[in-house]
Amino acid sequence: MKIRNILIRNPIWESIVRKEHRPSEWIQTKTLGLGLINLFLFAILTVTGILLMFYYVPDTEKAYQSLKDLEYVISFGMILRNMHRWSAYLMIVSVFLHFSRAFYMGEYQKPRQFNWVIGMLMLLCVLGMGNTGYFLPWDQKSYWGITILSNVISAVPVIGEQLKYLVLGGTEVGQNILTRAFDMHVKVFPLVLGLLMGIHFWRIRIDDGLAELIPPQGRTTAASVNNPGGNDPQGQTAVGWSDIITRESSKCLLILAIVMGMSLLFNAPLEEVATPSVTPNPAKAPWFFLDLQEMLSWGPPFWWAIVVPGVAVPFLMLIPYLDPGRTGSGQWFHPSRRVQNILFTAFVTVMIGLIVIGKFMRGPGWVFYWPWQPWPSP
Amino acid sequence: MTENRYSRRAFLNRVGWLATLGSFGGLTAASARYMFPNVLYEPPKEFKIGTIDNYPEGVDFLADRRIFVVREQNHIKVVSAVCTHLGCTLNWVAERNQWECPCHGSVFNQKGVVIKGPARRPLPWYEVSLTPAGRLLVDERRIVPYTETLSVKT
Repeated sequence: MKIRNILIRNPIWESIVRKEHRPSEWIQTKTLGLGLINLFLFAILTVTGILLMFYYVPDTEKAYQSLKDLEYVISFGMILRNMHRWSAYLMIVSVFLHFSRAFYMGEYQKPRQFNWVIGMLMLLCVLGMGNTGYFLPWDQKSYWGITILSNVISAVPVIGEQLKYLVLGGTEVGQNILTRAFDMHVKVFPLVLGLLMGIHFWRIRIDDGLAELIPPQGRTTAASVNNPGGNDPQGQTAVGWSDIITRESSKCLLILAIVMGMSLLFNAPLEEVATPSVTPNPAKAPWFFLDLQEMLSWGPPFWWAIVVPGVAVPFLMLIPYLDPGRTGSGQWFHPSRRVQNILFTAFVTVMIGLIVIGKFMRGPGWVFYWPWQPWPSP
Repeated sequence: MTENRYSRRAFLNRVGWLATLGSFGGLTAASARYMFPNVLYEPPKEFKIGTIDNYPEGVDFLADRRIFVVREQNHIKVVSAVCTHLGCTLNWVAERNQWECPCHGSVFNQKGVVIKGPARRPLPWYEVSLTPAGRLLVDERRIVPYTETLSVKT
């Protein structure tokens, strides 16, 4: 009981939950707690990332070698790299689920519009980290990913070539882009994401907690529930929160167990060392960008990789200001939000469908094959 | 009159703001410029590729330069092996007489013209000349039409 009290009844938690509303059944059962899962995955990624950095060398000659060392020479290097990779994948999935959850529950409605925007920026940060992370091993996937990305960037009108020069730090894929990707991956994106996380959590307090169906005047505050008589009987404070903390801590342990299990069972892929003269056939982007790559195969990069995302991302970001609806906030699939939910589901289905097609149904030359169809031998 | 004068306080205030904004503006501009390197340690755009005897009849891939050398009897032509869509390295498929891109499926015929998208621009043919010592010199900065070839006496 003593240790439990130290864990739960300490000034840190109390300062966080002091003015928070009493946790209702709702928060325990309906929000899935994905935000905290994301935070925990970010913690795993930070720790494993720092450890990987002790051996990784961001040099075109040495990067791949240091990856091989991590895999075969350094004790537990393989496990740590696997953990970094699999928790990154899990984080992308869980960030996406968090984003869908917020949409389907109308969480972005007034007064929480701005936190949706922050969330979208964080989603972009996570994708940016995923992308720059893919460049670091300097294997074939890194090299051709950078090549394709830099040429997509050059399709930006007017300033395309300068932008490509800026991203590559030159005209060809080489040391400068590796240095820049490393810098972005380990410093810029984590710092920005950390800052945005702070704002994201703080906004929850500012915006009066999460959206609930309970009318505000009907809410009881943590203080009035936990401290009904004005005194503070030992062991009675923040009972509701202690339950939540216990629950969420066990959830984090479960996530850790899943990441460790995956890392023990499956090794993170590593292709051959980057070879400019040989493009793997098919050359596929990381799975979370396969929807973009699939669209790239339809036509000019300007339309499919600049205009379409350039319209879709700001649109998604501005949803809270474009959707005038004020009902159904805090409830899954509220009938008054049918149109919004259908449109969102259609969008998400198309994106996931494109990723599935890109991943499982594209063979050499980006030709369509069913998953069970054999590819022609080269 | 004194109350209408531009006071020392207001003057210093304005100077202070200008200096502050100027410093931040200058630092921002300098940092932005800093990101564009002035010297590149990249392979030269003009290089020698040996003599015509190194290349048998047909299409040859030069891996370290990412070019194809096309020889038809004593005529030599050089074409880029980089897909004009998004920069993947093309494969020469002799049985279909065309270049195919592994990334997004673009196809170029033996003249370097797009016959299947998503690529839209044709492949650039590079100028080839002979050095006094009889070696082939490729200049990637000079794009020439497909019809221009270098005839080498063999």
